[in-house]
Amino acid sequence: MTNISRRTLLKAGLAALAVPSVAACNNGAAARGDGEIIYWLWDSAQLPMYTECAKVFHEQNPQYSVKIEQYGWNDYWSKLVTGFISDTAPDVFTGHSSKYPLFADKGQVLPIDDYVSRDNVDLSIYQKGLADRWIGNDGKRYGLPKDWDTEVYFYNSAFTEAAGISTEQLNSMTWNPQDGGTFEQIVRRLTVDSKGRRGDQPGFDKDNVKVYGLGYGDAGGGDGQTSWSWYAASNGWKYSEGEPWGTKFFYGDPKFTETIGWWRSLITKAYMPTYAQAKSGVDVTTSFGAGKYAITPNGSWMLGTYGGLKQVKTKLARLPLGPVGKRMSMMNGLADTIWAGTTRRDASWAWVKFLGSQTAQDIVAKAGVVFPAVAASMPAAKAAFAKSGWDVTPFLEPVEAGDVFAYPANPNAADVTAVMTPAMDAVMSFEAEPASLAKANDDVNQILSANS
Amino acid sequence: MTATTNAPPTRKRSHGEQAAPPGRRRSLGDLKVAMIFLAPATLGFVVFYIWPTLRGAYLSFTEYSLLSAPKFNGLANYERMLHDSFFWNALVVTVEYVVINIGVQTVLAVGIAMVMYRLTKSITVRAVILAPYLVANVVVALVWYWMLDFQVGIVNQGLSWLGIDPVAFFGDSHWAIPTVAGINVWRHMGYTALLVFAGLQTIPAYVYEAAEVDGSTEWKTFWRITLPLLRPVLVMVLVVTMIGSFQIFDTVAVTTQGGPINATRVIYYYIYERAFTRFDFGYASAMALVLFAILAVVSLVQLRLLRAKESDLA
Amino acid sequence: MSVGRTVAWVLLFILLIVTLFPFYWMLRTAFSDNTQLPGHPGSLLPVESTLGAFKRVLGLSTIEEAQAQGGSGAAVNFWLYLRNSLVVATITTVCQVFFSAMAAYAFARLRWPGRDKVFALFLAALMVPPIFTTLPNFVLIKNLGLLNSFAGIILPGAFMTPFAIFFLRQFFLGINRELEEAAMIDGAGHRRIFFGLIIPMSGAPIATLAILTYINSWNDYFWPLLVGQQENVRVLTVALGVFRSQTPQGGPDWAGLMAATLIAALPMIILFLAFAKRITNSIGFSGIK
Repeated sequence: MTNISRRTLLKAGLAALAVPSVAACNNGAAARGDGEIIYWLWDSAQLPMYTECAKVFHEQNPQYSVKIEQYGWNDYWSKLVTGFISDTAPDVFTGHSSKYPLFADKGQVLPIDDYVSRDNVDLSIYQKGLADRWIGNDGKRYGLPKDWDTEVYFYNSAFTEAAGISTEQLNSMTWNPQDGGTFEQIVRRLTVDSKGRRGDQPGFDKDNVKVYGLGYGDAGGGDGQTSWSWYAASNGWKYSEGEPWGTKFFYGDPKFTETIGWWRSLITKAYMPTYAQAKSGVDVTTSFGAGKYAITPNGSWMLGTYGGLKQVKTKLARLPLGPVGKRMSMMNGLADTIWAGTTRRDASWAWVKFLGSQTAQDIVAKAGVVFPAVAASMPAAKAAFAKSGWDVTPFLEPVEAGDVFAYPANPNAADVTAVMTPAMDAVMSFEAEPASLAKANDDVNQILSANS
Repeated sequence: MTATTNAPPTRKRSHGEQAAPPGRRRSLGDLKVAMIFLAPATLGFVVFYIWPTLRGAYLSFTEYSLLSAPKFNGLANYERMLHDSFFWNALVVTVEYVVINIGVQTVLAVGIAMVMYRLTKSITVRAVILAPYLVANVVVALVWYWMLDFQVGIVNQGLSWLGIDPVAFFGDSHWAIPTVAGINVWRHMGYTALLVFAGLQTIPAYVYEAAEVDGSTEWKTFWRITLPLLRPVLVMVLVVTMIGSFQIFDTVAVTTQGGPINATRVIYYYIYERAFTRFDFGYASAMALVLFAILAVVSLVQLRLLRAKESDLA
Repeated sequence: MSVGRTVAWVLLFILLIVTLFPFYWMLRTAFSDNTQLPGHPGSLLPVESTLGAFKRVLGLSTIEEAQAQGGSGAAVNFWLYLRNSLVVATITTVCQVFFSAMAAYAFARLRWPGRDKVFALFLAALMVPPIFTTLPNFVLIKNLGLLNSFAGIILPGAFMTPFAIFFLRQFFLGINRELEEAAMIDGAGHRRIFFGLIIPMSGAPIATLAILTYINSWNDYFWPLLVGQQENVRVLTVALGVFRSQTPQGGPDWAGLMAATLIAALPMIILFLAFAKRITNSIGFSGIK
């Protein structure tokens, strides 16, 4: 009878589909051994060197093994949060200053103080100040530093040569918020309109610029790491009264607002693209590679990306000397953190300890992708970068001189960003004045005091 | 299975009409059988509709991070909502979106339906204008995100070809929400037009003939006769599309993520952000409850206002 | 032909172009060379036609190839996501239609006390906006340990939707009573009547409902985003969102993105072409979705 066969067909169909779905129901987590840990990172460029580290780690500790998974930045953090919520987070994962404080606050990362003292881990091998960055608001330590980064200017050497600007000039720039110092003069010279006139030549056409002297990717939010942080710092400004872990921010301080006012004035003078243009579908490095920008400030983790821009010969220049008489740069660093819910604590700690050791960081250094946190591994890194054609001294100088400042970490970083990003965007798109940042600052401080 | 008929069928009954149950013995009717047939649906209904509604209401009075148990905190979430500028901004942005989206969409849909009604009932034409509705919101959003890009999008190329300056559709806080609304109009106008078109079919021809005899112009016919007769269809369309419109999420999530400068941080997206990226689930639940209340009020008001008279055909 | 009619035809023509152009543009970009795209934004034909974007997106090219073309080099595998979408949409449709049909039968053809009141209650659920049930449903799925599993994605929608019950009840109400009565006289129970009579006679509306349900399930984004993050259960819509934000250091891989959206949209377009008449005609009398 037709109806029975139809029903049988239906049941058979359901069964056929149920099998793969039930099979896929299992996350595969149960199949792992006790000594196998899962490790997450977000930078695909770092995958090869950490795979090598995992190999050496396994040789040294045959009872442990590491499975590495890489996800893109946004995906990484949303999967991590889902992992926390569903109790399926990775055992060890790369942490960032802007994110780990919240995780620590919610008890999702494991303090390692006991392990550090038990194994007598030597914290002096790291670059000055790095290890302490991973001590949270509660005084507990959450990670061992694995790399560090600072900012410099990446510039198109063909453009600077054509403009008659020497390397000495580029590396001895000065800056102040009133007239931008020699830095602004150089930026002006490098800006070229569609008829070939430079910014400092008569008849310069502001509305038809072909090459902008200075490029940028966004308004910087609350940290301005690669956009304005060094100007503000060398103007004598601090993010908050406790650096890091501040509970009172100073975005309303005149030293900050005048810095932002100057930065924005570069758009008015047409040395920088408008905000809409900077934020559209072609990003800052691609635009730089296409010859639209002469100078772009960026972090040391971008060396590989700039190296891949075949159409331009990129060189590095020091950040300018500011009103306080110093060249300052933000110094940030990553560390690997352990999930508090992991069932493989010993294995996870062994991996973290290994990654924080000179053995691992020598491997990292040789890969020439990032700067290792261990000071002794730095020469190898310098050599590796030199092989790719980079002289990374401009990155190192502020660190050696001690003229660095920390990323503004905070357990309420997300709330601060939620206020500051739109506020900065509004200023840079001329919908608000720099003075409006004082109101944003009040909102930020209000949130922080409500949450403490 | 043995026969379970309760009474011999009589020929007096016509289609769909039920026989009057003759006594207490049959008051349960087919209850036992019905329960079997209804079992899965009822299970789904209770577990995934009723229970969540109740639990959602409960969670809105708690502080809940999803990482540990919910903590009751009374009206704290609601008080916080009153002072939360992001929440009010989200409501304003969402209302802006709904007004533009529904307004433009309905006008266009009626226009398209009228044009099709006069010109062609071709299934091909109808199928083509329905096509955007078939693909996912995220697909539509991404294609338009590419087409409307400030530097490399085809639309801005066309504008500059016409001598107009490029527009930062997604990057300019004044354009962002209208752009998102426009994208959704593109996706839904065909579908809505077909709904109106079906409604147009129900208007009998003699009405138009009478109007023509009376010497009415096309425009006047449309306003005085067609539109009022379309009222029931339009009411249904408006109510349902408006409820859907308030829940805009997909397009924002894959294009602007709430930016620029909070111009597209619609209420749905803000709730999502709070619940799943800020570990602030209790507060998000409270906002969802408020949204529910707003939608209920809006629908009721709409139905009341627009159903002042039933179909004017009578 | 009157001026009015000409204008109307022109408008209709413009409408058709506006409707179809984005689909063409998707095609054109997907077949273009990603690195050449910024240089030829206005070209109506694919820029340096290549299948590179599809290879990237289907996981068929190496990391170096992908990065040379402007891709992110992250592991992407749209075959997997396609399979996941298929599983989710198919199981959801089969279950939803089947259980809703059973419930519709109970509301339409069976007599029992309180029937119409219960039906009104089910309909009222139509009015509750999804956002309000989504958050607590997420908590429920999490507590059941079903996050990142197909069961978690499918369950809330698998049993019924008020619309499906409403839709089928309308049809069942219209079925000729006499056939049913004849079967009952012959000794058939309700189960036999349902499977042997009602279902076969309602082939058309059930097929229509199945198609509509399939399309909705395929295009669903929010719920699978919350519950299906992991690669092995990630569906196409969620994968698209992830793909879009994969290169935070740079702009999106436009050609790859368009290739991915094409893969996501194609099954629905094929389904539509196969059933165009049925789907288009269903919009009218199914009333409001």
